[in-house]
Amino acid sequence: MNVTVDKIGGAPLLETQGEIDHGSCAPLQLALDAALEGGNDVVFIDLRKVTYIDSGGLSVLLSGVRRLRERGWLGVIGPNHNVKRLLEIVGLLVDSSFRLFDSMEAAEQAVLERAPA
Amino acid sequence: MTLEGEQVGCRRLKVKAETAKLAEVRDFVGQVATEAALHPERVFDLKVATSEAFANAVEHACSSAEDLEVCTRVSPRLFMVEITDNGCFRPPTLPRQPDHPRGLGLPLMVALMDEVSFTRAPSGGTTVRLAVLLGT
Repeated sequence: MNVTVDKIGGAPLLETQGEIDHGSCAPLQLALDAALEGGNDVVFIDLRKVTYIDSGGLSVLLSGVRRLRERGWLGVIGPNHNVKRLLEIVGLLVDSSFRLFDSMEAAEQAVLERAPA
Repeated sequence: MTLEGEQVGCRRLKVKAETAKLAEVRDFVGQVATEAALHPERVFDLKVATSEAFANAVEHACSSAEDLEVCTRVSPRLFMVEITDNGCFRPPTLPRQPDHPRGLGLPLMVALMDEVSFTRAPSGGTTVRLAVLLGT
Protein backbone atom coordinates (compact mmCIF):
# COMPACT_ATOMS: atom_id res chain seq x y z
CA MET A 1 0.00 0.00 0.00
CA ASN A 2 1.33 3.42 -1.00
CA VAL A 3 0.45 6.74 0.54
CA THR A 4 0.97 9.97 -1.36
CA VAL A 5 0.66 13.33 0.33
CA ASP A 6 -1.04 16.25 -1.35
CA LYS A 7 -2.78 19.40 -0.13
CA ILE A 8 -6.40 20.44 -0.25
CA GLY A 9 -7.39 23.93 0.84
CA GLY A 10 -4.02 24.16 2.58
CA ALA A 11 -4.60 20.99 4.65
CA PRO A 12 -2.66 17.75 4.14
CA LEU A 13 -4.42 15.14 2.01
CA LEU A 14 -3.23 11.55 2.39
CA GLU A 15 -4.14 9.46 -0.63
CA THR A 16 -4.10 5.71 -0.38
CA GLN A 17 -5.66 2.72 -2.11
CA GLY A 18 -6.41 -0.98 -1.92
CA GLU A 19 -6.78 -2.87 1.34
CA ILE A 20 -5.81 -1.37 4.70
CA ASP A 21 -5.29 -4.12 7.27
CA HIS A 22 -2.92 -4.97 10.12
CA GLY A 23 -0.20 -5.90 7.71
CA SER A 24 -0.50 -2.88 5.42
CA CYS A 25 -1.52 0.07 7.60
CA ALA A 26 1.97 1.22 8.64
CA PRO A 27 2.57 3.63 5.71
CA LEU A 28 -0.73 5.39 6.42
CA GLN A 29 0.06 5.64 10.13
CA LEU A 30 3.48 7.11 9.35
CA ALA A 31 2.03 9.66 6.93
CA LEU A 32 -0.65 10.63 9.43
CA ASP A 33 1.91 10.97 12.22
CA ALA A 34 3.97 13.28 10.02
CA ALA A 35 0.92 15.40 9.14
CA LEU A 36 -0.06 15.70 12.81
CA GLU A 37 3.45 16.54 13.92
CA GLY A 38 3.35 19.38 11.43
CA GLY A 39 0.75 21.02 13.68
CA ASN A 40 -2.13 20.86 11.21
CA ASP A 41 -5.62 21.25 12.67
CA VAL A 42 -7.28 19.51 9.73
CA VAL A 43 -6.01 16.40 7.96
CA PHE A 44 -7.77 14.60 5.10
CA ILE A 45 -7.54 10.96 4.12
CA ASP A 46 -8.79 10.03 0.66
CA LEU A 47 -10.44 6.61 0.83
CA ARG A 48 -12.05 6.67 -2.62
CA LYS A 49 -9.73 3.96 -3.90
CA VAL A 50 -9.76 1.91 -0.71
CA THR A 51 -11.65 -1.34 -1.18
CA TYR A 52 -11.28 -2.80 2.30
CA ILE A 53 -10.45 -1.73 5.83
CA ASP A 54 -10.38 -3.51 9.16
CA SER A 55 -9.26 -2.64 12.67
CA GLY A 56 -5.70 -2.17 11.39
CA GLY A 57 -6.81 0.81 9.30
CA LEU A 58 -9.63 1.90 11.61
CA SER A 59 -7.11 2.24 14.44
CA VAL A 60 -5.13 4.69 12.31
CA LEU A 61 -8.25 6.81 11.74
CA LEU A 62 -9.18 6.66 15.42
CA SER A 63 -5.69 7.71 16.47
CA GLY A 64 -5.93 10.72 14.16
CA VAL A 65 -9.31 11.73 15.55
CA ARG A 66 -8.06 11.38 19.11
CA ARG A 67 -5.01 13.52 18.49
CA LEU A 68 -6.99 16.21 16.63
CA ARG A 69 -9.72 16.40 19.25
CA GLU A 70 -8.48 19.54 20.96
CA ARG A 71 -7.63 21.45 17.81
CA GLY A 72 -9.56 20.32 14.76
CA TRP A 73 -10.82 17.32 12.85
CA LEU A 74 -9.94 14.43 10.59
CA GLY A 75 -11.73 14.43 7.25
CA VAL A 76 -12.31 11.24 5.27
CA ILE A 77 -13.28 11.42 1.61
CA GLY A 78 -15.34 8.96 -0.39
CA PRO A 79 -15.32 5.66 1.52
CA ASN A 80 -17.26 2.90 -0.20
CA HIS A 81 -20.48 1.57 1.33
CA ASN A 82 -18.83 -1.25 3.29
CA VAL A 83 -15.99 0.89 4.61
CA LYS A 84 -18.56 3.49 5.68
CA ARG A 85 -20.48 0.85 7.64
CA LEU A 86 -17.34 0.09 9.63
CA LEU A 87 -16.73 3.78 10.31
CA GLU A 88 -20.22 3.85 11.76
CA ILE A 89 -19.74 0.70 13.86
CA VAL A 90 -16.63 2.09 15.56
CA GLY A 91 -18.43 5.36 16.31
CA LEU A 92 -16.52 7.66 13.97
CA LEU A 93 -19.59 9.01 12.18
CA VAL A 94 -20.90 10.61 15.35
CA ASP A 95 -17.53 11.89 16.56
CA SER A 96 -17.25 15.68 16.58
CA SER A 97 -13.61 15.47 15.48
CA PHE A 98 -14.42 13.36 12.44
CA ARG A 99 -15.99 14.50 9.17
CA LEU A 100 -17.09 12.51 6.16
CA PHE A 101 -17.14 13.95 2.64
CA ASP A 102 -18.58 12.53 -0.55
CA SER A 103 -16.31 14.52 -2.81
CA MET A 104 -13.05 16.39 -2.94
CA GLU A 105 -14.97 19.59 -3.66
CA ALA A 106 -17.04 19.26 -0.48
CA ALA A 107 -13.89 18.60 1.53
CA GLU A 108 -12.15 21.63 0.13
CA GLN A 109 -15.20 23.78 0.80
CA ALA A 110 -15.27 22.67 4.44
CA VAL A 111 -11.63 23.42 5.09
CA LEU A 112 -11.88 26.84 3.46
CA GLU A 113 -14.97 27.70 5.49
CA ARG A 114 -13.64 26.60 8.86
CA ALA A 115 -13.46 29.28 11.48
CA PRO A 116 -10.00 30.73 11.93
CA ALA A 117 -8.30 29.58 15.10
CA MET B 1 -0.71 -22.79 1.06
CA THR B 2 -2.74 -25.96 0.88
CA LEU B 3 -6.36 -26.31 -0.03
CA GLU B 4 -8.20 -29.39 1.02
CA GLY B 5 -11.77 -30.50 0.91
CA GLU B 6 -11.61 -33.80 2.67
CA GLN B 7 -14.71 -33.06 4.67
CA VAL B 8 -17.99 -32.43 2.98
CA GLY B 9 -18.85 -28.79 3.30
CA CYS B 10 -15.43 -27.92 4.68
CA ARG B 11 -12.80 -26.06 2.76
CA ARG B 12 -9.50 -25.52 4.42
CA LEU B 13 -6.57 -23.17 4.10
CA LYS B 14 -3.34 -23.48 6.04
CA VAL B 15 -1.12 -20.41 6.14
CA LYS B 16 1.80 -19.14 8.13
CA ALA B 17 0.94 -17.02 11.14
CA GLU B 18 1.93 -13.69 9.61
CA THR B 19 -0.06 -10.51 9.04
CA ALA B 20 1.34 -10.54 5.50
CA LYS B 21 -1.02 -13.51 4.92
CA LEU B 22 -4.16 -11.58 5.85
CA ALA B 23 -5.07 -10.75 2.25
CA GLU B 24 -4.69 -14.39 1.22
CA VAL B 25 -6.94 -15.50 4.07
CA ARG B 26 -9.53 -12.85 3.22
CA ASP B 27 -9.51 -13.77 -0.45
CA PHE B 28 -10.06 -17.43 0.43
CA VAL B 29 -13.01 -16.69 2.69
CA GLY B 30 -14.40 -14.14 0.25
CA GLN B 31 -14.26 -16.60 -2.61
CA VAL B 32 -15.97 -19.41 -0.72
CA ALA B 33 -18.63 -17.09 0.69
CA THR B 34 -19.32 -15.65 -2.75
CA GLU B 35 -19.63 -19.15 -4.19
CA ALA B 36 -22.13 -19.88 -1.42
CA ALA B 37 -24.17 -16.95 -2.77
CA LEU B 38 -23.90 -14.77 0.32
CA HIS B 39 -24.87 -11.16 -0.10
CA PRO B 40 -21.79 -9.03 -0.96
CA GLU B 41 -22.24 -7.08 2.27
CA ARG B 42 -22.12 -10.28 4.31
CA VAL B 43 -19.08 -11.42 2.35
CA PHE B 44 -17.36 -8.19 3.33
CA ASP B 45 -18.38 -8.70 6.98
CA LEU B 46 -16.95 -12.22 6.94
CA LYS B 47 -13.68 -10.97 5.45
CA VAL B 48 -13.32 -8.34 8.16
CA ALA B 49 -14.25 -10.69 11.02
CA THR B 50 -11.90 -13.38 9.68
CA SER B 51 -9.08 -10.85 9.40
CA GLU B 52 -9.64 -9.77 12.99
CA ALA B 53 -9.59 -13.35 14.26
CA PHE B 54 -6.55 -14.20 12.16
CA ALA B 55 -4.67 -11.05 13.20
CA ASN B 56 -5.39 -11.87 16.80
CA ALA B 57 -4.12 -15.42 16.35
CA VAL B 58 -0.98 -14.06 14.67
CA GLU B 59 -0.39 -11.65 17.52
CA HIS B 60 -0.49 -14.51 19.99
CA ALA B 61 1.10 -17.20 17.86
CA CYS B 62 4.06 -19.11 19.27
CA SER B 63 6.04 -18.35 16.15
CA SER B 64 5.36 -17.14 12.64
CA ALA B 65 6.75 -20.39 11.29
CA GLU B 66 3.65 -22.18 12.44
CA ASP B 67 0.53 -22.62 10.41
CA LEU B 68 -2.88 -21.36 11.29
CA GLU B 69 -5.85 -23.16 9.85
CA VAL B 70 -8.87 -21.50 8.34
CA CYS B 71 -11.84 -23.74 7.65
CA THR B 72 -15.14 -22.78 6.08
CA ARG B 73 -18.31 -24.80 6.50
CA VAL B 74 -21.75 -24.38 5.07
CA SER B 75 -24.85 -25.81 6.68
CA PRO B 76 -28.45 -25.19 5.73
CA ARG B 77 -28.60 -22.57 8.47
CA LEU B 78 -25.11 -21.10 8.71
CA PHE B 79 -22.02 -20.08 6.84
CA MET B 80 -19.15 -20.63 9.22
CA VAL B 81 -15.45 -19.77 9.34
CA GLU B 82 -13.21 -21.39 11.91
CA ILE B 83 -9.74 -20.06 12.64
CA THR B 84 -7.65 -22.49 14.64
CA ASP B 85 -4.25 -21.92 16.21
CA ASN B 86 -1.88 -24.37 17.75
CA GLY B 87 -2.13 -23.72 21.42
CA CYS B 88 -0.61 -20.38 22.26
CA PHE B 89 -3.78 -18.37 22.18
CA ARG B 90 -4.59 -15.90 24.90
CA PRO B 91 -8.05 -14.42 25.04
CA PRO B 92 -8.40 -11.14 23.16
CA THR B 93 -7.97 -8.18 25.44
CA LEU B 94 -10.47 -5.39 25.62
CA PRO B 95 -9.12 -1.86 25.43
CA ARG B 96 -7.52 -0.82 28.67
CA GLN B 97 -8.83 2.68 28.29
CA PRO B 98 -11.86 3.68 26.26
CA ASP B 99 -9.95 6.30 24.30
CA HIS B 100 -7.21 3.93 23.22
CA PRO B 101 -7.80 2.72 19.69
CA ARG B 102 -6.64 -0.84 20.13
CA GLY B 103 -8.67 -3.87 20.98
CA LEU B 104 -11.17 -3.21 18.20
CA GLY B 105 -10.95 -6.71 16.81
CA LEU B 106 -13.32 -8.50 19.13
CA PRO B 107 -16.00 -5.76 19.14
CA LEU B 108 -15.91 -5.75 15.33
CA MET B 109 -16.26 -9.54 15.15
CA VAL B 110 -19.25 -9.37 17.47
CA ALA B 111 -20.82 -6.44 15.61
CA LEU B 112 -20.46 -8.01 12.17
CA MET B 113 -21.21 -11.68 12.86
CA ASP B 114 -24.40 -13.45 13.93
CA GLU B 115 -22.45 -15.86 16.10
CA VAL B 116 -18.94 -15.70 17.58
CA SER B 117 -17.49 -18.35 19.84
CA PHE B 118 -14.13 -19.39 21.25
CA THR B 119 -13.40 -23.04 21.91
CA ARG B 120 -10.30 -24.47 23.54
CA ALA B 121 -9.39 -27.99 22.43
CA PRO B 122 -7.84 -30.56 24.80
CA SER B 123 -4.63 -30.25 22.76
CA GLY B 124 -4.46 -26.60 23.77
CA GLY B 125 -5.37 -25.13 20.39
CA THR B 126 -8.09 -22.53 20.22
CA THR B 127 -10.74 -22.19 17.56
CA VAL B 128 -12.54 -18.95 16.89
CA ARG B 129 -15.81 -19.66 15.14
CA LEU B 130 -17.50 -16.93 13.16
CA ALA B 131 -20.90 -17.51 11.64
CA VAL B 132 -23.53 -15.71 9.65
CA LEU B 133 -27.09 -16.96 9.38
CA LEU B 134 -28.06 -17.80 5.84
CA GLY B 135 -31.05 -16.08 4.35
CA THR B 136 -30.52 -12.88 6.32
